[in-house]
Amino acid sequence: MIETSDLRRGFGGIKALAGVSLKVAEGERRAIIGPNGAGKTTLFNVLTGELEPTAGEVRLAGENVTGRRPHELARRGIARMYQRNELFDPLSARDNVAIGVAAAAGPYRPFSSPPASELVAADDLLERVGLGTRAATPARALSHGERRQLELAVALARRPRVLLLDEPTAGMSPTETARITELIASLDRSLTLVIVEHDMDVVFRLAERITVLHEGRVIADGTPAQVRGDTLVNEVYLGKVVA
Amino acid sequence: MRRLALPLAVLVAAALLVTFPIWSVPWEGSRYAISILRDMLILAILALSLDLLVGSAGMPSLGQSAYFGAGAYAAAIAGQRLASDDLLLGLGAAILVSSLLALAIGAVAVRAAGIFFLMLTLAFAQMVFAVAFQAADLTGGSNGFSGVRRPMLFGLDFNGPDALFHLVAIVFLAVLLLVWRIRSSTYGRALIGLRENERRMRALGYDTTRLKLSAFVLAGAIAGVGGALQAYSIRFVSTNDVGVARSVEAFVSVLIGGASTLLGPVVGAVVVLFIERVMPSYIAFAETLLGLVFIIFVLAARQGIVGVVRVAYARARA
Repeated sequence: MIETSDLRRGFGGIKALAGVSLKVAEGERRAIIGPNGAGKTTLFNVLTGELEPTAGEVRLAGENVTGRRPHELARRGIARMYQRNELFDPLSARDNVAIGVAAAAGPYRPFSSPPASELVAADDLLERVGLGTRAATPARALSHGERRQLELAVALARRPRVLLLDEPTAGMSPTETARITELIASLDRSLTLVIVEHDMDVVFRLAERITVLHEGRVIADGTPAQVRGDTLVNEVYLGKVVA
Repeated sequence: MRRLALPLAVLVAAALLVTFPIWSVPWEGSRYAISILRDMLILAILALSLDLLVGSAGMPSLGQSAYFGAGAYAAAIAGQRLASDDLLLGLGAAILVSSLLALAIGAVAVRAAGIFFLMLTLAFAQMVFAVAFQAADLTGGSNGFSGVRRPMLFGLDFNGPDALFHLVAIVFLAVLLLVWRIRSSTYGRALIGLRENERRMRALGYDTTRLKLSAFVLAGAIAGVGGALQAYSIRFVSTNDVGVARSVEAFVSVLIGGASTLLGPVVGAVVVLFIERVMPSYIAFAETLLGLVFIIFVLAARQGIVGVVRVAYARARA
């Protein structure tokens, strides 16, 4: 579904991505782990088109989409749950999602109010992420956990084919973490998921395959069991976290 | 009954506004009031156009007078060159020229955001001002363009001050209706999305550059309509109509009245012209008062008059 080959991106003298090649199959659930500064967020920024790679290629469903702009990639089915929520703060939860739902039909409808069908679709999504009773609440008035749930609903609003999840449980309490993890686990199996996450319990709960990044390179790639047994991975990453 | 109360009140208010020259006759200040109110409505149209950018889409433009002036010159010059009194021709020319100008300038300006967008709009407006000043053959340059032809429509003559007021009031109401509809539309909500989080808009698949450009052109076209009315009102176009002072007047109207509210720009335009044009007859240093009022709003009440009233009303009900 999504494939990168020898992706490179530098910032000044720093190589954030030093040749990343990976291949995520349709419907796969892939976790990308690695220490801070490994290049995970840079990789996401390249995959969403927010950053152009210095070299290498990104393919989405077989099409070369390298250098495409974010809205073009979104239209081709890429969505992202940002690590720091990207919401429309003063707008209601419903409107936050509805703007996403409306994106498919486009904004150039200056004389018609948002159609009921779009608002119903937004409410359905809110229901699914557990915010059914909060539809009318402004995004800024939601709790941190609820804002993460809303961020997920907004990311899903355009019915993406690939969903990039950037630390979905960041800053959450154990209860909230468990809830959003189950929420993600319950997503449609046809949706391709790429998850960046530090919480290894969450990673092992969600991922079918794990890619380990270190200093902008893939140092391991395999099933959770394989990665757990990899000595190099234990040395640079897991050893410190899982003990 | 209660559901009908608001639309009914709006209709009555609209009718009272349009017929102001008729029912205000007994009042001795009527003639003067008609001309002031007319100018307030024209500034309100400009401010409404600007608020689509500043309030809704979060694009602070300081060059809105460029499109206002372009509309004024376009209506005046089209009428003169084509020897036509047709109101629709004048308004059409104003809309065409101002939106094309906005398209050309916007194509560059919308690539910047925030303070840089503001500086670009200002710089382009200054260029438009310079052209209006220098192209004396076309615009009359520093002498201004005099002898704007009176507008006619279907045999109706809008030449007299009363008839002209009716025209301005009707066009103002049409613009207000348009802006009201846009604000509650899918498009209007997308503009708010731009203001609140452009990154999220892009990630949802919105071409934000194009969306901003569309708002810029729409605002330019509405400003152009205001400019045409200005040209018809005083039958004269001066370089002041494209000058930065006009842009600032509109910007201050939006901020004092309340950005991102339907009536805020209108209330602001009334307040600004009241202070600028009426107060000087009664007190000294009235223009200084405008600066003071502006400072108070920037420091203490950024939601503007309409915003403050709305909050107070919500509190009173709670």
